[in-house]
Formats: sequence, structure tokens, C-alpha cells
Amino acid sequence: MSQTRTTLEMGLREYARTPVLLALLVFLPAYVILFFTRVVPERTVPVDVPGAGMLAVGLKPTVAALMTPMVAALIGGIAGLFLMQSARDVDSRLVVVGAAPRAILFARFGLLGFATLLASAVAVAVMSLTYVPDQLAPFVAATVVSGLTYGALGVLAGLVLNRLAGVYLMMFGPFLDIFLAQSPLSEGAPAVAPYLPGHYTVEMAFDAAFTAGVDLATVAGGLVYLAVVAAVAWAAFSRTLRST
Amino acid sequence: MMSTAVRLRVGLSATLREFLREPLNVALLVVLPPVVITSYGSMMGAFPRLHSMDAAPGTLGALNGTLFVATFLPGVIGLFQVISARSADERLAVCGFQRPVMFTSRLLAVVAASVLTAAVSLAVLATRTDVADPAVGFTLLAFVGVLYGLVGMLVGAVLPRELEGSLVLIFLADVDELMSSGLFRTDSVLVELLPMHYPHELFQSAVGGETLATGTVVASLGYAAALFALALGVYTLVAGEGGVLG
Repeated sequence: MSQTRTTLEMGLREYARTPVLLALLVFLPAYVILFFTRVVPERTVPVDVPGAGMLAVGLKPTVAALMTPMVAALIGGIAGLFLMQSARDVDSRLVVVGAAPRAILFARFGLLGFATLLASAVAVAVMSLTYVPDQLAPFVAATVVSGLTYGALGVLAGLVLNRLAGVYLMMFGPFLDIFLAQSPLSEGAPAVAPYLPGHYTVEMAFDAAFTAGVDLATVAGGLVYLAVVAAVAWAAFSRTLRST
Repeated sequence: MMSTAVRLRVGLSATLREFLREPLNVALLVVLPPVVITSYGSMMGAFPRLHSMDAAPGTLGALNGTLFVATFLPGVIGLFQVISARSADERLAVCGFQRPVMFTSRLLAVVAASVLTAAVSLAVLATRTDVADPAVGFTLLAFVGVLYGLVGMLVGAVLPRELEGSLVLIFLADVDELMSSGLFRTDSVLVELLPMHYPHELFQSAVGGETLATGTVVASLGYAAALFALALGVYTLVAGEGGVLG
């Protein structure tokens, strides 16, 4: 436990030592949500909300509800990718000198969780300046799950790809998945959409934003998806620590 | 003493060799355009034709995907060109290389990546829709690639590490792409400040066979010139010093 705490503290201290990074984790989500809620025109659009069918909803809240999980996914994905790129060598040395791999894993995933939570909190707070979701807590949960899912995918990308390929993946992935494939403005989702990481979290987010209830099956789907991806990332990272 | 031309050649060849040493990098430049353009086109094809769209959603999606990929692949390369080579560049400066020369050699590598990506992207786009003026289309795609390469180099010169630089570039790129996607139409002047605003209009005209608007061409060139001056100035001032915000 103390090894986990020490490693996590070291990671947090490294974050604190780079105020630019902390500032970006706060500024970038705020900038994106504010930018869109400012420039998108005031009009009503038909939106296919999973729990309620077609609803006439303002374009600003629609875009805000879509951008918030996407922002968390972008931050989580990139944080996961670089966490793995920068920590891999150091962590292998920690294992050599006697640190428990499990403690390192908890600490690294804890750090990823911190970055995702911070970005999610800022994104939802800024979104709430324009539109407060009907159910705030489930909306926050959807945003966090979106960030964590992409964070775990970023960890996997960091293990198998170089940083250039990883950044490409994290640049195009959440955009194509969340903004295009899962968009409730679309008349028909592509066949691959239900299998993509953003599927359940966007459904959760739209249910929470515009209806009084969230489908439990959707919530379960999102959590299972996250659990599976996180388990694979955990196993892959663990294997890397033991094999070097 | 080496002449400037020799230094440029040496710098460019070293940069290209470093890039080519990882075959995955080259594969990405060739594989990503078809994946992104096809995905973007088919996913946007499911959208209804909104009144903000100037073309059929599927066509607009393919066009957006083409610009997206042709722009941001060189952008990320520009970012890593500067960040990963910071200490090496500092040593080269100590050995007598002038920073503007190093900047130019790195920019030439970005130009090479932009040309390759533009060619592949345009070829993929041509399989999905008619491109009325391929020569102008290619030139514009290479142009936006260099434009975002400069953005990447500027971000890389200002920010100290790859994580921060990647975050900024990705957020800027995705916002820029979303605003020029045709899903939203806005009169906000904020949108005109985004790098892809004017080139997007020009590229759409080139694909549709329309005459390029002179004002938009001038605005694009002016934006690129200002960005070049800014990126060169910042790189010359701070490269090797840990970044402005470091």
C-alpha cells in the first residue's frame, strides 16, 4: 500500500512540477466547450435520444452534451498514451529494485484517473454554464467513463505503438467514434458504431442530459466495456513490467 | 565551413532518415488517409442534409476527411520534429548551425510529408467523388499540410514536452475540423482565426470546379506567411531553452 502511495505521489508531484500540464488539463476542456457553446447557432434540431426517441433539442446543448464526453476521451487517451510511453522504462527499473508490479499498476492507473477526473470535472462545470443536464450525476459518470475507457485504450496504444502512431490514433479515434459514429444528429448509426468505445457513454450522456431516466442496460454496457478494456490494459502493462 | 545549402541538405537528410528508420511512420502516411477518408465519408453519409451543408453529407464527409488527414499528419510530424530534436538542435547550434537553417531543414521534412500525404489523400478522395481540378486540389492539400506543420512546429517550440504539445495540437485540430465540417454554420469571427477556415473553402471550390475566390486565397497566404514568421521567430528565440512555458 505504501509503495502504491509513494509511486502515485511521485506521479502527482511530477504533474505538479509541470504547471503547464495542469493548466492544460483545465484550460483545454474549458476552451473547447466554451468555444462551441459560443459559436454554434441558437436553433433547435431533431435529436435521437436513446431513452426517449426523437426530441427537439437546442443545438448548443446537443453539441455540449456530445463534446463533453469527447473532451474527456481526448484527455484520457492522450494521458494514457504518454503515461505508458514515459513510465515504461522507469517502472521496469522500479520492479528490478523490488517494487511490487501491482503497486506500480495501481499508482499509474490512479494517475490516469486523476487526469481524467480533473478534465471531466472542468468539462461538465463549463458545460453547466450553458446547459445543466437533467441528471447531473449520471452525466458526470458518463463523461468519466468515456475518459477512462479511452485512457485504458491510450495505455494499450502506448504499449504497442510508437508515439507518432499513438497520437494519430488518439487524434482520429475519439473524433470519428464520438462525434461522427455516435452522433444523435445522424439518421442511422454505422454498423460498427455499437462496438466502438464511445457507444454506451454517449447514450448514457444523452439520456442523462435530456431525459429523466438512464437505461440501466446502457450503464452496465458502458461499465463492462470499461472493465474489459481496463483489464486488458492492466494485463498488458503488467506483462511489460515482468518481462523487462 | 559548410555552405547553407549543404547544411540544409544534411539537416533534411538526417531528419528524413530518422523518420524512415521506423517503417510504421511511413506506413501510417499511406494507410491512414484511406481509413480516415472512407470512415469520415461513410459516417457523415448517415447525417441528414443540414442547411449548413454545401454538398451531400457523404461527399462533404469524404472531403472533410481528406483535409483532416492531409492536415494533421504533417501537423503531428512538425510537432515531434521540434520537440524530440530540441537538445540535438541545441548541440548543432553550438557547432555553428544557424537556427533559421535548422528550422528550414525541419520544415522541409514537413513539406515532404505534406506532399506525400496530399498525393495519397487526393487519390483516395478521387475514388469517392469527382475532383474537378486535381492539380489545384493537390496544391491546396499540400499547402494545408505545411500550414499545420508550422502550427505543430510552433506548438513544439513553445511547449516543453510531447504530452503537452500533443494535447494542444489535438484539441486545436479537432476543433478546427469540427468547425469546418459543415455540420454547423456560424457567423462568429472566432472561426476565421482557425488555420483551416480559408483553405477549407478553397479546397471545396477546387473539388467542385469553382473559381477560387481571390480574397480567400490572399487570406490563406497571409495566414501562412504570418504563421511562418511566428514559428520561425519563436523557434529561433526559444528552441533549446526548454520552451517559452517550460
